[in-house]
Amino acid sequence: MDLKPTIGIETHIELNTNTKMFCRCKVVDTDEPNISLCPTCIGLPGALPVPNGKAIEYITLLSLATGCTITRKGMFHRKNYFYPDLPKNYQISQFDLPVGESGKLEIILDGKKDSVEIERVHMEEDTGKSTHSGTGRIDSATSTALDFNRSGVPLVEIVTKPVIESAKEAVAYIEELRQLSIDLNISEGKLEKGNLRFDANISVAPDDSNELGTKVEIKNMNSLRSLERAIDYEISRQTKAYLDGEEIIQETRHWDEAKELTSSMRSKEGSADYRYFSDPDLPNMILSEIFIEDIKNKLPKLPSEIRNDLMETGLDLDQANILGKSDNWIRDLYFDVFDSTKEHSTTYNWITGELQGQMRKLDINFPPEWFSADLLSEILGLIKDNKISFTSGKTILSEVLQKNISIDEVATNNDLYQENNEEKIVELVKNVINDSEDVVQRIKEGEDKLVGFLVGQVIKNSGGSVNPGIAKELLSKELDL
Amino acid sequence: MSDFDIKNIAKLASINLSAEEQKKLTKDLSIILEHVQALSSLELDTNIEDVFIHPLEKELKLVEDIEIDSLTHKDALSNAPESKDGKFVVPPSME
Amino acid sequence: MELKNLSIRQLNNLFVEKKAKPSELYSDIFDTSASSESLLHAHLALFEEKNIEIAKNSDKRFENGESTGLLDGIPIAIKDNINIKGELTTCSSKMLSNYRSPYNATVIEKLDNENVLYTGKTNLDEFAMGSSTENSAFGLTKNPWNTDYVPGGSSGGSAASVSARSSIGALGSDTGGSIRQPAAFCGLVGFKPTYGTVSRYGLIAFASSLDQIGPITKNVDDARIIYNAISGHDALDATSIDNNQINIPFDKSAKIGVIKELMEDGISDESRNEVSKVLESLKNQGYQIKEVSLPLIKLSISIYYLIAPAECSANLARFDGVRYGLRVEGKTSYEMMQNTRAEGFGDEVKRRILLGTYALSAGYYDEYYGKALRARKKMIDEFSNIFNDVDYLISPTTPTAAFKAGEKTSNPLEMYMSDLCTIPANLAGLPAISIPTGLSKENLPLGVQLMSKPLTDLSLLNFSEVIEKEVDFDTFPKGLEK
Ligand SMILES: [Mg+2]
Ligand SMILES: [Zn+2]
Repeated sequence: MDLKPTIGIETHIELNTNTKMFCRCKVVDTDEPNISLCPTCIGLPGALPVPNGKAIEYITLLSLATGCTITRKGMFHRKNYFYPDLPKNYQISQFDLPVGESGKLEIILDGKKDSVEIERVHMEEDTGKSTHSGTGRIDSATSTALDFNRSGVPLVEIVTKPVIESAKEAVAYIEELRQLSIDLNISEGKLEKGNLRFDANISVAPDDSNELGTKVEIKNMNSLRSLERAIDYEISRQTKAYLDGEEIIQETRHWDEAKELTSSMRSKEGSADYRYFSDPDLPNMILSEIFIEDIKNKLPKLPSEIRNDLMETGLDLDQANILGKSDNWIRDLYFDVFDSTKEHSTTYNWITGELQGQMRKLDINFPPEWFSADLLSEILGLIKDNKISFTSGKTILSEVLQKNISIDEVATNNDLYQENNEEKIVELVKNVINDSEDVVQRIKEGEDKLVGFLVGQVIKNSGGSVNPGIAKELLSKELDL
Repeated sequence: MSDFDIKNIAKLASINLSAEEQKKLTKDLSIILEHVQALSSLELDTNIEDVFIHPLEKELKLVEDIEIDSLTHKDALSNAPESKDGKFVVPPSME
Repeated sequence: MELKNLSIRQLNNLFVEKKAKPSELYSDIFDTSASSESLLHAHLALFEEKNIEIAKNSDKRFENGESTGLLDGIPIAIKDNINIKGELTTCSSKMLSNYRSPYNATVIEKLDNENVLYTGKTNLDEFAMGSSTENSAFGLTKNPWNTDYVPGGSSGGSAASVSARSSIGALGSDTGGSIRQPAAFCGLVGFKPTYGTVSRYGLIAFASSLDQIGPITKNVDDARIIYNAISGHDALDATSIDNNQINIPFDKSAKIGVIKELMEDGISDESRNEVSKVLESLKNQGYQIKEVSLPLIKLSISIYYLIAPAECSANLARFDGVRYGLRVEGKTSYEMMQNTRAEGFGDEVKRRILLGTYALSAGYYDEYYGKALRARKKMIDEFSNIFNDVDYLISPTTPTAAFKAGEKTSNPLEMYMSDLCTIPANLAGLPAISIPTGLSKENLPLGVQLMSKPLTDLSLLNFSEVIEKEVDFDTFPKGLEK
């Protein structure tokens, strides 16, 4: 019997607002604990929440960008559970009236466009951070230390329908969502900083079944790699259990990065009865037509649109997807260089290959400020016009990445301009032929490969300034090949 | 009311109750819950969707994303039962 | 001249005319509390020492003609669930017995601007849950009119303090009658403003959609002066509203409705008679009076005892021993929190937290909390319909006069019933006031309650003054030595 896995993903995106969700404490990125706090975000008696308009703008952007229906009369709920890093022992979240519902996100899977249905997009606040200390192992911690700087930072939770079918698809979805949040400029999108955090709900069921199997929630996956591995692990664990006739228990499991397996988490104290109810400190949130229209007008180009634009230049879907998920400056550079070269493939290869490779070698994340699209376009133009060789182009690129110098200066100083004067080349060719009687003889006897050797001689004698293509052409002509 | 589980409720509310308290509270709450049963006879045509949280049906006002200085680190920790290296300290929260 | 018996306006006149000084008033008040506190226990904390300085600063301002207004140098008592920076704020709970607030409530910021002098923090039922101030972890407060009786609650300390003249006025908080009921029991004016006109920021929440801060005073004008000082929109409270007052008539063209359901069973003859007495006098003055019916009022206690506990179960979840307040150790965080909450909360608080937890728990939400929300909405609609017909609603404030300490402690439901008349105004967010009108046969005060539609607070106060003038009640407690 064939089993099919079904996966749903819940992602928390940390918004890059200036202040927290329900108080005006600055959102800080620091190891110095408990320095950005107020009565509200540490839950002092009598303190009240006041909502951040920017965060509501951002979540509306994300909801619209994923094609969600916007809830006009929304509401904040209290989600009640006791945990030391949750100051009020309830989290302000949304329940049955989230900001966005029923959307869809285009993803690229196996070189094809696909999409993942979104169930809901809602707003909530983050908790503080716990550090468990003792002998170094969590299960024998002797105390827990709490830092509330993160407490109250705005989070958007975006929940997919249970429609994802593989670990690869899950990864493609997160990659797309990450790019979207960056393009909308609502999050830094840094996975390593926890800007995006995800949980997966996984079940397996017979291929022909209309019902889903028992779902298991996996937590603690903090990279795309661990997401992929955890899902794959869990699918095979459940498949084996199913085939062995074992019962799959509805539970939360923890991905153990070191051991590369999921293990059952003992449930937190208290069951999962969150007793959601409308937060009486926060009146109903009415999102007006004008507000929504306003946000719509602020929508930038979405990753799917940028991908289409890239494909219109001639790139294939995979290339467009790779470039689409690159840093902004890389995408802009591509469009600008393409504008002048009209060569999609060369431009793509030079940017994703040569330029980024050299930057890696130089250990820089951004090109220097004097570097521009014009500079790269000029290099590609010189190569195209046979004014310099491909290799010289690389040399020039390397030089201009390291110092503020003109292309002409680099080419002249290093004598990189190619000899394109036929008469001069013919003379060189004739000299080589005269000096290489043996070789010429062997070529005439059919050793075609040796033409390359002669081309090399011509280039060598010219000091590297001869275009290899022209040299070969003229050699062939002289030898009557 | 037959299924009133005081232990579960106390656990949800994170209050440790003695056996005696459990008995007393079960009795008290039963009396109150019986009284509020009066509501069950009420015919309600109001939809829950029509209900506003604010009794005067005020709408939520969003606030500008501008930082305001508040508690100093010292003030924030001034009431902490236990703290170390600038952090609040509690018994282990992971089992 | 006994300054402590005067109204705020009278005191201010004397100060302006340099016939008396705020420091003289304060020493009068201070002497009173020195003798009354041991008898009544109205205050949990008295701010004696710094107040002498503060009063002298007021003296100087009046001397230089630089006073900041009517409340400059006026001693006001503050219920101990309102945060004053640097002071203990205990809510009369063991949970917060050592809690010193690092910030001010908005009402305190506003009173600071008026240069009010705070006598101290007053006793209350723990976390404002109760109707007698017997649920305080720090001992009960007694009624100045007869110390065998309760002062009402939960703002019992505030009421007892004003009644005994150990303050000129006081702030209380009212969730289901906690200002009006103790005011009625102590022969004072107690005013619960329109929900949202006074900021709740810094008021330790009991039930957020019902709580409202307001004054307890000897007369209506004092209540108005304090209300004007503390009201107004506050950006720190999302439920706060713009206080755009609506004027309704308070002269003879005003229409008065008597609430039928609050003149029936469950209300003592004495309480009913006070309303009749007032109605008689209004009728004689030419006011139009009619009986009106609000059927849902009969269910208000049921609605209230689902909504208030549900909200409080979450509001009080933050008291866990992690960041402030009491901590009782345990092997894990969870044990520590459970032990802390077991030890820190009193019986009534536990009762309400558990009741609210239950009403919200899986499988019961619709039946209890959800239903209560809808019933509340229907009740609000009933009120707004009635206010198309009448301007003011009148009823007794309490079903009976003050009861004896210990009389109702064994039966929580019976205690809850004493809030029958006051709860509806909280559910509907209406302004409501209790005015003292007479005495029971045991010589205990009785009051009548007036309600009006939202944002007519000032008209309601104006109309209350008409009644106040007519009944001419002497607020000085009989039985307390002058
Ligand atoms: Mg969440
Ligand atoms: Zn804050």
